[in-house]
Amino acid sequence: MIEKRNLFILVVTLWTGFVAPAAAKSGDPDAGAEIYTQFCIHCHGEEGDAVTETADRLNPPPRDFTTAQYKIKATDFEDDFPNDLDLFRMIRDGMPGSAMPGWSDVLSDQQIFDLVAYIKIFAGLEEEELGPSMEYGEQIAISAESIEQGKRLFHEGDRCSECHGKEGRGDAIKGLKDDAGFRTWPRNLTKPWNFRASNDPKDIFTRISTGIPGTQMPAFADPTSDKQLTAEERWHVANYVNSLAKTERVVRPENTVVKADHVNGELPDAVDDPLWEKTEPSTFFLVPQLIGEERFFTPSNDTITARALYSDTEFAILLEWDDRTKSIPGDETAEKISDPEIAEDGVAIQLPVKIPEGSEKPYFGMGDATNPVTIWHWKSGTTDTPQSVNLINATGFENIEQRDAASLSITAQGFYQDGTWRVIMKRPRSGVDKEKDIELIEGKAIPIAFAAWDGSNSEQGSRHTMTAWYWLLLKPDIGARPIVSAAFAGFLVFGVLLWWQRSASSKRATKDV
Amino acid sequence: MRKIPRLLQAVLVIGFVYAAFVVVFDVFLEQVIPASLLTMYMFFVIAGVFMVFTFTEESTRELVAPIKALVEDPSRKAIRNIVFAVLPLAVAAYTYFSTLPSYQAPVELRSIHPAPPSTVRAFEKRYDLLTLENPFRKYEKEDPEKFKQLVVEGGNVYTSNCQFCHGDKLDGKGPYAQGLNPVPLNFQDVGTIAQLQESFLFWRIATGGPGLPKEATPWSSSMPVWQKFLTEDEIWKVILYLYDYTGHQPRSWQHD
Ligand code: HEC
Ligand code: HEC
Repeated sequence: MIEKRNLFILVVTLWTGFVAPAAAKSGDPDAGAEIYTQFCIHCHGEEGDAVTETADRLNPPPRDFTTAQYKIKATDFEDDFPNDLDLFRMIRDGMPGSAMPGWSDVLSDQQIFDLVAYIKIFAGLEEEELGPSMEYGEQIAISAESIEQGKRLFHEGDRCSECHGKEGRGDAIKGLKDDAGFRTWPRNLTKPWNFRASNDPKDIFTRISTGIPGTQMPAFADPTSDKQLTAEERWHVANYVNSLAKTERVVRPENTVVKADHVNGELPDAVDDPLWEKTEPSTFFLVPQLIGEERFFTPSNDTITARALYSDTEFAILLEWDDRTKSIPGDETAEKISDPEIAEDGVAIQLPVKIPEGSEKPYFGMGDATNPVTIWHWKSGTTDTPQSVNLINATGFENIEQRDAASLSITAQGFYQDGTWRVIMKRPRSGVDKEKDIELIEGKAIPIAFAAWDGSNSEQGSRHTMTAWYWLLLKPDIGARPIVSAAFAGFLVFGVLLWWQRSASSKRATKDV
Repeated sequence: MRKIPRLLQAVLVIGFVYAAFVVVFDVFLEQVIPASLLTMYMFFVIAGVFMVFTFTEESTRELVAPIKALVEDPSRKAIRNIVFAVLPLAVAAYTYFSTLPSYQAPVELRSIHPAPPSTVRAFEKRYDLLTLENPFRKYEKEDPEKFKQLVVEGGNVYTSNCQFCHGDKLDGKGPYAQGLNPVPLNFQDVGTIAQLQESFLFWRIATGGPGLPKEATPWSSSMPVWQKFLTEDEIWKVILYLYDYTGHQPRSWQHD
């Protein structure tokens, strides 16, 4: 699957590289206006000013074309505007990590150039002489040395790490707003699927050179900046940033099962225990909560990774997710980074109270009247209160019973480092109350769902991210069975062959006599 | 021309059919053929080939001759030794890997367009789905200007509520589509709204995932219960938009 996707990306890159028009074509603004009305007004507005019903529900908001402020441009850093090819490309390929889709499957190249001609009119850009593409110098191929150089430059004087964090996860140490006053999050560089352009070194080089206009992302080609980088240095940094995408915490769509390994004796308490390393991680997409009041539209977390272990008596799950901010209400730095009010970070897992026998499960949004769920909800604590874990049983959004997690011996402990939370939750495998607590039986497929809260992104209560139902499986100990059956089958076949050959040759011998 | 031995013929036929299955499914239908299905198909194929190749006594003899010779003919000792070593090992390896548990998710079957109920409760009213019609549909002929405006309004409802999952291009590929299971419907596909009546859509939108009958797994559908968030009029307008944008026509009782 992974290979297939890589192949797909390769093909697409080759293909788009191949068909990308070398020069901009001139577009017909009148034709563009018509296409615009059909496809673009609901986000960018009839007047191009992005004053739409949808805009309030999108972060980043749709571009306001009347300002002539564009994020992605390959023109020189001193040029104020992108050129036609830049705009063409953004419309054709879309901007991953935002609501802006790519239009190549619906519109022809000519139609896209018509759109470019039209949207420029909103800001009077149609008269501007737009600059050529920037100078790239000699591209430096990806190599261990280049990546090493890039890493040094990335951290030197906190050049990039100031905003993108030590490990590139976008865990900024200062609050950031874009020119329009919207909260911007520095890109998590380990998640290339959110790059508005792409994480190809050439694209990264371009972004480093010109910055991302309208946001805090600076232009490092600017000689007046004390953090300026030469073209050669920018290639090294680009190669390093590209290398950050290699993480094992990526979603593999075919993997929908969290497989818990059996451990003899105690389950680990430490997040860096080597036992966790040996278990297979399963990563799932988090989506904002859009099914119950109050809906939540502007998430900051997008994936969660789970690993699980179990012993004869206990079950433990390690949850890992990238969160740019350690949100501890009362903590000065945490409050400075975010908008004024912050809440605790949190994470939760949801399980049915009874393992389903047939295909029927509880409703994935907190269960339903006939199928209750049980939820273990960890919170990061405030400066006054320690981390906590809550136990909730629910039969729907409105029917929630708060229970005492301690009575069931549920424990949870979280650790934050470099933009990642790691939380271990534990519970004895059997519950106290058969009617309310799930029995974690090995070998059975148990539905499991996850939720997460980023307290610095105004996530609280029903405003959070969540997953669909996936599966948890306590892998049964299979012992020597496969080996024994293999040996048995092998010997059986060998025996039959031997017997056949022997009886044939003895028959021949009698005939010969 | 030398005749291909019967045994080789049989093996080639089976191999060819197998490859054909895999190619047709993976390349043309773009989905990996489920192992259980493939096993069943291949069982019938092998049984069929075997029957054809053993139709007469002579053909049977021809088919098994090379195998018999391999085991019984003293002059084939070298090759026999190799087969006697390799075959049991291959069987052992196969048994080993097939006894290893796979830890796959249980297979879940689901009906995507379940039969609608005849009446449905929503907005604290009861609707008869057999007679229910889109109150705005008539403007398509009577007042095209007004109709156009209604479609734009439906588009605003769609873009601020539905595109997150069903996608701005109505292709089921919204920004959050990948995180959902089952995945959001693709309205561009001729197999979805083009096959349905507007009243069916009204039912599906107003009551959402939890309003589905059991065969359509209401517990896992992420489709919100839109009567909580939209008005009746907004639902009818967004339905206009779905058909207008995709160019599909709703089915109606008259034409059926
Ligand atoms: C579903 C909402 C939506 C629709 C529909 C949409 N866009 Fe966008 N568009 C966005 C958002 C959101 C952004 C800003 C992304 C960001 O800031 O990272 C954007 C940004 C852009 C940009 C700015 C690129 C840059 O470098 O800054 C252009 C140009 C653009 N859109 C053109 C179009 C055109 C043309 C159409 C119609 C064919 C269209 N958009 C339809 C949501 C949308
Ligand atoms: C002052 C803060 C700041 C600094 C310093 C900074 N960045 Fe950024 N960077 C941002 C922000 C904010 C964004 C996201 C902008 C947006 O909202 O689209 C971003 C986005 C990016 C992107 C994403 C491009 C895309 O296609 O989406 C890359 C790559 C990147 N930065 C690399 C770097 C590198 C490399 C450095 C150091 C040479 C650096 N940044 C320094 C704030 C910063």
